[in-house]
Amino acid sequence: MKASKPLKTSEAPARFKVGDRVRVKNMPNMFYTRTQNYVRGAIGTIAVCTYKDLIPEEEAFNYDGRIEQYYIIRFRQKDLWEEYPFDNDTLQTESPEHWLEPA
Amino acid sequence: MTSRPELHQQYDLIRSLQPALHVPQNWNYENTHPQFQALMHPPHDVGGQPDVPVYYEEKEEEQWELNTYVTCEVLGWRGAWTAEERRRRADNDLGYTLYLGMPYYGRWIWSAAKMLVDKKHISLSELVEKIAEVRSRYESK
Repeated sequence: MKASKPLKTSEAPARFKVGDRVRVKNMPNMFYTRTQNYVRGAIGTIAVCTYKDLIPEEEAFNYDGRIEQYYIIRFRQKDLWEEYPFDNDTLQTESPEHWLEPA
Repeated sequence: MTSRPELHQQYDLIRSLQPALHVPQNWNYENTHPQFQALMHPPHDVGGQPDVPVYYEEKEEEQWELNTYVTCEVLGWRGAWTAEERRRRADNDLGYTLYLGMPYYGRWIWSAAKMLVDKKHISLSELVEKIAEVRSRYESK
């Protein structure tokens, strides 16, 4: 066994900035992801540019792959669940860059 | 030898562990696309799904749970796996039946054992023989 490696980083600039409107891509489910099913295809706003790290789909298989910018995206609950009763409530979740496209 | 009544009881329990799908499933020759999507859905992504009523209670962590937690963290420090790989194995790869059937740290220790065997840090026969040895040591006490 090898000792744990230091944290990853990358020089690539972040594609989105706080306040940008983004749509979560609707990619197939296959084996592992941390991007929830219920946000696929939904439009939200970048709330925070968090950090750069390995992406879950690769790190989960011990694959020393690409490093991406992570974002916290804020959605209106009503955009996720039509029947949701309160207009102003929001939900935040985090995703790496490859799940997002400009909206 | 396991007694026959005990064995039949085990088989009845195994039969009852089948996930409660509303359509009988038995190596279907064809699936519709929505069925395919449901089958491919990773079990750990539970947000928005209906659930049965669950009784929540305050529970102290037991010694075996703390031991399991520490063992899994140490395996991380030694580079055997990352937290993401642990989540993939313990929350997803074991499938609905085990995911729903086992206690939280039961899933952790199950996945740690599976990882060590998968990565050839320990052979399955070695592990099984060791567990049998420890069990007989406890039974003789």
